[in-house]
Order: sequence, then structure tokens, then C-alpha cells
Amino acid sequence: MEQVIYVENLRRDFIKTKGLIRRKRTVTAAVDGITFDVRRGEIFGILGENGAGKTTTIKMLITLLTPTSGVCKVLGYNTYGEEKKIRNRINFIFGGEMGVYRRLSGRDNLQYFANLYHIPMAEAKRKVNEVLEIVGLTDKADALAETYSKGMIQRLQISRGLMNDAEIFFMDEPTIGLDPLGARTQRNLIRTLKEHGKTIVLTTHYLYEAEELCDRIAIMNKGKIVALDTPQGLKDLLENTKTIELVIKHSMTNLYERIKEISGVRSVEFKEGEENDIYLIKYDRDLDILSEVLNLTCDITSFSQKELTLEDVFIHLMGDKV
Amino acid sequence: MRNAIRIILGTMRIQIKNSFVRPMYRFCLIVNPIGNTILLYYMFRNSSMSNFMTYVILGAGLSSLWECICFSSVGDINRERWYGTLPVIFCAPAGFNLIVLGKIIGNTVLSLASMAITVFTAKLLFGAGIQIANLPGFIPAFLMAVCTFVVISQVFAYLLTLSRKTTLFMNCLSIPIALVCGFVIPAELLPDWLLPLSYSLPMTWAVKLIRGTFDVNFTGKEYLLCFTVQLIEVLLYTIAFQLLYRIIEREVKIKASLELM
Repeated sequence: MEQVIYVENLRRDFIKTKGLIRRKRTVTAAVDGITFDVRRGEIFGILGENGAGKTTTIKMLITLLTPTSGVCKVLGYNTYGEEKKIRNRINFIFGGEMGVYRRLSGRDNLQYFANLYHIPMAEAKRKVNEVLEIVGLTDKADALAETYSKGMIQRLQISRGLMNDAEIFFMDEPTIGLDPLGARTQRNLIRTLKEHGKTIVLTTHYLYEAEELCDRIAIMNKGKIVALDTPQGLKDLLENTKTIELVIKHSMTNLYERIKEISGVRSVEFKEGEENDIYLIKYDRDLDILSEVLNLTCDITSFSQKELTLEDVFIHLMGDKV
Repeated sequence: MRNAIRIILGTMRIQIKNSFVRPMYRFCLIVNPIGNTILLYYMFRNSSMSNFMTYVILGAGLSSLWECICFSSVGDINRERWYGTLPVIFCAPAGFNLIVLGKIIGNTVLSLASMAITVFTAKLLFGAGIQIANLPGFIPAFLMAVCTFVVISQVFAYLLTLSRKTTLFMNCLSIPIALVCGFVIPAELLPDWLLPLSYSLPMTWAVKLIRGTFDVNFTGKEYLLCFTVQLIEVLLYTIAFQLLYRIIEREVKIKASLELM
């Protein structure tokens, strides 16, 4: 597949100076030498904690920020110095209720953006109606954007992206703050964009969303990419790990510590209940965990083997600190 | 060129719509000139100046015009930042400088209403009209003044994309500029050390020129001098802006100052 984004050893430092006489300069690497590529038509996810460098990466890709060093190419052009060749072929959507003129109607917003993207007037009018239909805002087209819900503003932002028929969409946390229905509508829209051959780069905090939508995912931590693969590929990183949930009656006071001490147990999460406690145990594939726990206690009420999720991988890669 | 005009006109239209729905803007546009006219009338009423109404009307009108342009054009950068649309228009293929120009022209056109409100208030409350001594000279002087406001606002608006403290700078610009440029009191009354600053701003010459067209003793030679100096300064500011804006655009991308955080 054709490569539409190419990033190599990309770095972005933020410099802060403090003090009047003895000026102290602090350099923070928000993005620290990352390398990846994105292929045409794929949904590429960037995952990471707050401050991991996801948004900074997106901002460099959309020509909003200058990289400190490294290669940052979109559609074959440098995002710094060749911005003009990129800007009318991409679009971006930031999460939340920003990015639209709230005191204008949805239609006025889109018509204005069409103007800014050099779309001829007659075509713009037709296109506005068309994209409003796609995002389901036709009924509210002439209402002021300030009367829209968060989800509707997000959809209006997506329709802005559709106006210039962007080849690549950059979405920074597109479902943040949306109710479950709004988030689902948004995810369906993202899928529709992919079906129309659009390339999508999205950042998200919601791991299930990334797993559901993305073809490939890069996990960032402290400005670096710590893993990059398909969701299944990432899960395979933990192929030697299994997860079991045990419901055990209150019996031993130090059972949590004793389970943790079993050789082959990687991590234990413990949730105290009124009569029963729940233990979520990650352990080596070869370990017979049930026998080991039964050696410690016979009060197991129930157990269930858990499917490995992207969240498990994420927690593993973040060093279990999450 | 056609595209550029379309972008400017489209931005003007949106700007006028966006500005007029803001209560603060409506206050600056309608209430402010009325208040300024009343205050200046009582301040100048007992002065020995025979043409004091010219000072009242021009002072109130131009101050209100400047405040409208300053608070909206310069403040717009901050508003766009709050709306989250600043990165959107910055990265739009239309070009940020054209968009800012469209916004400022839109604001200026709308703000001209404050001049009309001033004249109307003076007539209604004090029965005072203004006598333009040199009407053929007044029209180019007024148009030139509008161009001056547009150019200066564009320079300030662009400079303020570099900082997130836009509101602070905007407030610092509003009244000092009105005083230094002699909107209300002639610039000649300023201390000597302030005069170079005053004369380096084309608004000073714009006010001098417009006020001159109300004065029968203002000679053609004086008119030409004021007009020429103003024109040269406007051109210099335009050239400086053209050089600056590339540097500013680069700096904005390095400093990441387009957003709130």
C-alpha cells in the first residue's frame, strides 16, 4: 500500500525559561525520536497517557508545529517548508467543543470553510448539503452551533473535513466527552470515512475504541513509541500471558500476597467484596494457576478465563503503573 | 486574485455576523460613541477653542472607531484561540494573512457606524453639526484614515499571535494609542519626548489631516504634507508587515502559541 505519512527520528522540544536575572532554561522533549509510517486507507491509532506526545505528533503532521529535528512528511512533502502542498489535501479534528464558530450556524460554518479551502461557490453550496446529510445534521443546519450538543459539534467538525475532500484526516481524541450513543455515531462515521478510502490518524484514550477501529496502533510513552503493530500483533506481545478472574470467599488475610508470590504470576489485581473477593491474575501460559491457588485455599466460588485485551498490553507496556 | 478577493469578502461577511452578535462589541459600537460624545462635549464646552465641536465629534468618533477596531481585530486572535478555530484558519490553504486582513476590513466597515453615531448624537443632544471646510479633501483623507487603521490593526493582530496575553496587550494599546495619536487632544500638546513616537504612527497624521479639512485656515501645502507623510508611513508599515509576517508565522509554529495550552 502507498505510504502517505513518513516520520523518521522526529523530535520536538519545548523550551521554557524562568527567572529574570539568572534565567533557567528547561528543555522538554515532548516527542523524542519517533519513527513510523502510515499507509493510504488505513486507520492508524496513536495511544498513550496524557503528555505522552500524541497531540504534539499530530500538530507536527498537520503543519501547525515545527519539528525540532527529524523527518516529517505528509503525502511526500515536508510539513515544514512545504505546508502549502499539504494543507488542502488534509484536514484535522480536535476533540471537545472547539474548532467551529459557535455563533454561526452549521451551514455558515461550512460555507466559510469551503471558502478558505478555495471551493467554488456553486460547488460549495451543493457540498454543504451533501456533507450535512452524511453527518446527519441536515435538520439542524441553520441553527447556531452554540445550540449543538458536543456530539453534533464533533460531527460538524467532521463535515468540515469532508468539505475539502481531504485525503488524510487527523483526529485528536474525537470521542472525548461524548455519551455512548454519540461516541458510537462518531466511530461509525470514522468507519464510513475509511470505506470512502480516507486515511485516518487518530489519537485516543479509549483502548477499546482503538482496538475496534484501528488497523495499526502506535503506543507512545514519554515521547517515544514503545510498540507499533496491529491490535492482534500487540496482543501477541503478551502471547505467553493468560488472565484469569477468581472469585474467592474471605478466608485468608494474606492471600493476595501469597498469590503474588507464586512463581509465574505476573500481576494480581484485587477487589474486595462483602462476602467474596475478586482476583484478576495474569500469569505465564504454562502455569497451572488453578491448582496453585487451590493449594492455598479451597474457597474458590467461581473462575473465568479472560480474553487478552489491548488494555492488558497497554498496562504491560506502561510498566504496570497505570 | 479572484480567490483572494473571495476569501477577504467571505471573511468580512462572517466577521460582521460574528462581531455583531457579541454584546461587548455592540456596546463599543453603539454605546461607547454616545458616551464619548457626551463626555467630550462637557470637557471642551468651556474651552477657548472656537471649533471645539470638531474636537468633540472627531475625537469621540475616531476614539470609538479605534476602540472597535482594536478590541475586535486584535481581540479576535484571542477569540479564535478560545473557539479553537485559530489553528484551523492558520492551517487553511487560504493563507492566514488574507484571513486576518478580511477580518480587519470587516471590523472596520462595521465600526464606521460608530463615527455616524457620534455625528448623530452631537446633532441630537447638542444641536451641533460639523462644517467640513474642504469636502474634496475630506473624502480622500477619510479613506486614507480607514486604510491606516486597517494596516496598523493588521500589524498588531499579527504580532499578538505570538503571545497568549492578547487581552492584556489589547487593553494597553487602546487608550494610549488614542492619546498619543491625538484623537482627542492635539498631538502637539504631548511632551517633546513623546512626539517622535506620535509622529511615527500614521494615525497621528490621519487625525491631523481629517481635522485640517474642517479648518478653513488649513492650507493645501499642509494638507499635502500630512497626506504624503501618512501615505509613506502606511507604505512603510505595509512593507514591514510583509517582511514580518513570514517571521511571525515561523515563530508561531516554533512557540506553539496558537492554542490556549
